[in-house]
Amino acid sequence: MEERTRAYLRGRFRDYYRRAEITPPPAPESREWGYIPWTTGPDTRMIRHRSVLDIGDIETFLERERPRHVYYSAGLYEDPGANSMDEKGWQRSDLVFDLDADHLPGVTLGEDSYAEMLATCKDALRRLLDFLEDDFGFENMEIVFSGGRGYHVHVRDERIRHLEREHRREIVDYVRGIGLEFDHLIETETVAGMGRETPTERRILRTSGGWGERLHDRFVSFLDDLLAMDEEAALERLQSFDGIGEGKATAALNAATNNRAAIEAGNVTVHTAIAQLAQRFAERTVEAENAPIDEPVTTDTNRLIRLPGSLHGGSSLAVRRIDRADLTDFDPLVDAVPETFTGHEIRVTVDRGGPVELGGDTFTVTEGEQSVPEHVAMFLMARGRAEKEKETGA
Amino acid sequence: MDALYARYPFLEAAREAVAEEAVDLATVVETEPAVVERAASRVEWALETGEVGDPAPDNRVELLSYPVARVLVSLVGERVLVRRYARAEAAVAHERFVADLADTTELKSVDSSGLDLDGLLAEFDLTESVREAPSLAGDATSPAGGSATQSPASATARSSDESTYLLEVGAYLPLAADCWGDEWRLVNRALADGEVPVTETELLTLLQEAVGSRVAEGLPFPDVPDPIADALEAEAADLRELVAELELVREIDTVVPELFPPCMKALLDDIQKGEHLPHHSRFAITAFLSSIGMTTDEIVELYRVNSAFGEQMTRYQTDHIRGETSPTEYSPPSCATMQSYGDCVNMDDLCERIPHPMAYYEQRLDDAEDEDGEIEDWRETLEGEAAE
Ligand code: SF4
Repeated sequence: MEERTRAYLRGRFRDYYRRAEITPPPAPESREWGYIPWTTGPDTRMIRHRSVLDIGDIETFLERERPRHVYYSAGLYEDPGANSMDEKGWQRSDLVFDLDADHLPGVTLGEDSYAEMLATCKDALRRLLDFLEDDFGFENMEIVFSGGRGYHVHVRDERIRHLEREHRREIVDYVRGIGLEFDHLIETETVAGMGRETPTERRILRTSGGWGERLHDRFVSFLDDLLAMDEEAALERLQSFDGIGEGKATAALNAATNNRAAIEAGNVTVHTAIAQLAQRFAERTVEAENAPIDEPVTTDTNRLIRLPGSLHGGSSLAVRRIDRADLTDFDPLVDAVPETFTGHEIRVTVDRGGPVELGGDTFTVTEGEQSVPEHVAMFLMARGRAEKEKETGA
Repeated sequence: MDALYARYPFLEAAREAVAEEAVDLATVVETEPAVVERAASRVEWALETGEVGDPAPDNRVELLSYPVARVLVSLVGERVLVRRYARAEAAVAHERFVADLADTTELKSVDSSGLDLDGLLAEFDLTESVREAPSLAGDATSPAGGSATQSPASATARSSDESTYLLEVGAYLPLAADCWGDEWRLVNRALADGEVPVTETELLTLLQEAVGSRVAEGLPFPDVPDPIADALEAEAADLRELVAELELVREIDTVVPELFPPCMKALLDDIQKGEHLPHHSRFAITAFLSSIGMTTDEIVELYRVNSAFGEQMTRYQTDHIRGETSPTEYSPPSCATMQSYGDCVNMDDLCERIPHPMAYYEQRLDDAEDEDGEIEDWRETLEGEAAE
């Protein structure tokens, strides 16, 4: 990036921060702050271990420093400005989830467009929220578009902020479905015999919550589909499962027909063929419903995360908080474009052309000098795909 | 009250009672041999049997022996001892409160020293985090006590008349962190609306964990005052010797896979073939490997020999088992445990004579050294390759 490009971006970041209203996270004075300035050279380092005492009021700081990237810690500390984690004195941390298009299955890097990647990411976000809202029942959550390739969810529920790294890892495993064992979703009940009967054991899938419920829902609706088909098609469908041949398929179909109600009640072990089939569903359910979050972000109780409302120096897009109710309609490539950068054009020299989807339009930018809408120019320059055109005098 | 504190010396109120009596620990250890003796026996029993021995007949002696025992453990200063001791105190507490809770249906004696569930939950600040699950309508009914079947140890089994509790996930996770077995993992739990259903048996197991953490809290004390340390020197020395005898902390730092016990060879083989092992097996092999001195990196490296496995996942599982703070946080299971999980395979002659896979390996190493003294550590071959 050339100096005049950097100077231009810096200047325009300042204009943004002058106008923007930034709401800092709760308890900013207990958090560590860090930022990356617009300096030259490849080894641009993060300046961190700062407290609000060091940097002053956040809005004033941003306007003065107009950093390229700005972060605050998920952790809350006694002395957030101390230089080592030991001295900081950890108290508790927000629980943070990061969905990044770079790490998502279903995203083909280099092939999917930016918009497509973000859409895949939003699907994953919806699955994540399902876990966080229904399974975990978390309160006090904040959903954020990262300004780059994904979404963050910050959970500030007091009931979990004390959790340490290893406990958070269990939460990661839960939403990713890691370590799920079908056998452990089954509950064995000893049912006392009536009269002279001996006690018997019932093996029931726990359907009151968790992955057991997810698996069960999927399984039951699969059986519904199956029973609605004609027999031949149903048998064929069953045989598409690993290790299920013609004999087992027939047995499973009969068992499903005869025990529909029992299965609905969670008794997936009514018949071995059904049990085997249900077991196959554990994997499928995880594949379809897990949320592929980035593990280290969630387990690291000292993580630094982008400040909502700030600008992402790699895209010139704003890091945006999203109201839960607005999530469906949220379009990052429209809603995260800062207004300050819209409405006029500037001249740039494009090094790497190609399609750019931004602000609701798709542009195909060619290489070389040209005028483009400023928000597109800002995006291309921040990504290193364009330079500010040389001033040709007044 | 004294009886209650003697029975449950880890209680906050018991600690206060000791403090209030203005008992000066230094005076106690100097002038009350009965207390010191009982304290030493608590720790000795913990090491040898996993329990804490018979209570002293005098409640005061019994109560005071607990803080003194913690000092003793600190003086020895081995992490493994802290762990064993805390585990033993917790196991005994569990046994006692299970008995106390069962007692509620019968007539309690007047000087009852029992603790009820509410009291126990309050002790660990769990009152707000636990509630009894609303009973399920239409659940199979059974005449109370009509079942003669013993509920197996498995956490997934319950008899249909056992109550279920809902525990907030934020309280569940720290308590279940050290529980052994995949059924405790959150992913296998019917989590709904922030609550984890647990059976009463499970809840009591989690409370046992809470006791264990309480006992281990702050241990080993960083600086025991000299007068106390001096007075307890003889007992501490005995315990140190006992720890050494039990070879709990013997340092092996040699990796020769050919000499591994058959069970570990088999598990390692499975992993290298890329097979998915149940948690207890993964745990056994990983704990074994870290107990013989291997780091996470080395373990991952060994696992990936000939195998097509995801490095990230293995590293992750490995770290999980090793614990990040202390490399030998978990000791590998004994032969008896291996057998009960079906992980003991291909037993050979030496197996007949040893109680623990670690003992097997140690013996083989000793033999090999005696034979020709040339043992090649697997890690040396590794470094050779990396240098190319
Ligand atoms: S006897 Fe012990 S050492 Fe031998 S195979 Fe069995 S578990 Fe391993």
